[in-house]
Amino acid sequence: MITEAGTQQPDLLNECEPVMEEIFTRCNENAPNFGVRLECFKESLQKTARKYILNSTEEVSAAELSDFLRQIQAEDLFLALACANGSERAWWEFDQQHRSYLERVARHLASTDIDAQEVVDTVYVELYGTRVVDGARVSKFSTYSGRGSLRGWLRTVIWHSLVDLHRASHDEVSLDEMTENVGEGFAHASFAEAPQGGEAEMIEQISKQRYKKATVSAIETAFANLDTHEKLLLLYYHVENLKLREIARMVESQSSPLRDWFQRKSPTREKNPESRIHESTIMRWLEKSYTKVLQLFRTELRAKHELREDEIEICMELATQDLAGRNLYQNLTTT
Amino acid sequence: MENTGKINLEEIRIQGLLDRYLNRQSAASGLSTQENHLDDDSLTAFVEGNLSERESKPIVSHLVDCSFCRHVTAELVRLDLAFADEQVQTVVEENQPSRISEVLSGLLAKIFGTGDSAVFAHHEAEEKSENRTEEKKEEK
Repeated sequence: MITEAGTQQPDLLNECEPVMEEIFTRCNENAPNFGVRLECFKESLQKTARKYILNSTEEVSAAELSDFLRQIQAEDLFLALACANGSERAWWEFDQQHRSYLERVARHLASTDIDAQEVVDTVYVELYGTRVVDGARVSKFSTYSGRGSLRGWLRTVIWHSLVDLHRASHDEVSLDEMTENVGEGFAHASFAEAPQGGEAEMIEQISKQRYKKATVSAIETAFANLDTHEKLLLLYYHVENLKLREIARMVESQSSPLRDWFQRKSPTREKNPESRIHESTIMRWLEKSYTKVLQLFRTELRAKHELREDEIEICMELATQDLAGRNLYQNLTTT
Repeated sequence: MENTGKINLEEIRIQGLLDRYLNRQSAASGLSTQENHLDDDSLTAFVEGNLSERESKPIVSHLVDCSFCRHVTAELVRLDLAFADEQVQTVVEENQPSRISEVLSGLLAKIFGTGDSAVFAHHEAEEKSENRTEEKKEEK
């Protein structure tokens, strides 16, 4: 059933108040001296629910909302709220738990120790908040929702701060170059460059204008007709140069949307739904996507461009003459 | 590598063609193809695989279209993997909780040159108020 977004919110949220109170009680027992009020905590949970689950037109049941609330990283959110409210005890706890980790992440990403320290300092200032709106200090912590882990969120904050730092010190550097110089992107700097043998060369390779146009159009259509999950997987592998191991890491969580989508298509899921995702599994997902692209590509050439089998063969040969270098299996050797 | 012989030749060709097509598209559009990027919170939740299918639908669509956010998620995955073996260190030392004020004040002073007076003005005000009360008590 489709409902108008937002109309079901107040009732549903009221219905789930006992769950919110239960979560609050647990957190408050663990950290009674953080000084977080029940109302403040509930408000934050409601904000998270509105952002992630109550923002669509699809109907949400009270049970679904309760499950959602129970999945929130409540202890992390509790700490973040206390820090946002300026609790000295919470800040001390945060500093003890996370400072050294923040420093290690910053050192890993930054090119110099000075940059790393500067970023950590800047992040601390942002987290505390120097901007005052309507008499209240705005802490970066107030943007943390508890949907992901606090450590994961801090990693993201550090990454963005480093990009900002780099941008500030390299006014004329484009965003592309800038992100290439932060972290692993530095090692994958070719991600945004025109690949060797770009379109111009590709076009040259295709002697007949008709086949060239048909080939480019067909691959474009084939890709466009994939599901978004397949597109994203292919983009991660081919454009972002993520290794199979790295993609496997990304879908490690059983609730990962990519994993869920691909596994739903797989008959083996029923047999072993909780099995670990190995690189070979990612490879199979890629293979299935290539097979689908190939089918769509051929269908497009045949149906729309009215090419015969021998002409389709010409298209494929002309378009891929110098493409033998990279294949699906190359990254297996690096893991 | 031993599997290479089994790969269908056509699939190798389509991989190559797709590779060039995607990279050409990405290079042509650059990184900033969208104005509204995903926030830190959504990026983290997605990378950690914490979002349900319903929640992730708009995010997956955004990542397909926005090369900047996609690149950020790829970097975050690499970072996550690099720190995968990290042990959660929760060294609890019984220091004075007030130490954090000094840490933050020092940082702010270093960055803005106005740390103590600007941010911790409310503490000072409270302290001054308390001092005044104590002074008054003493006077009495």
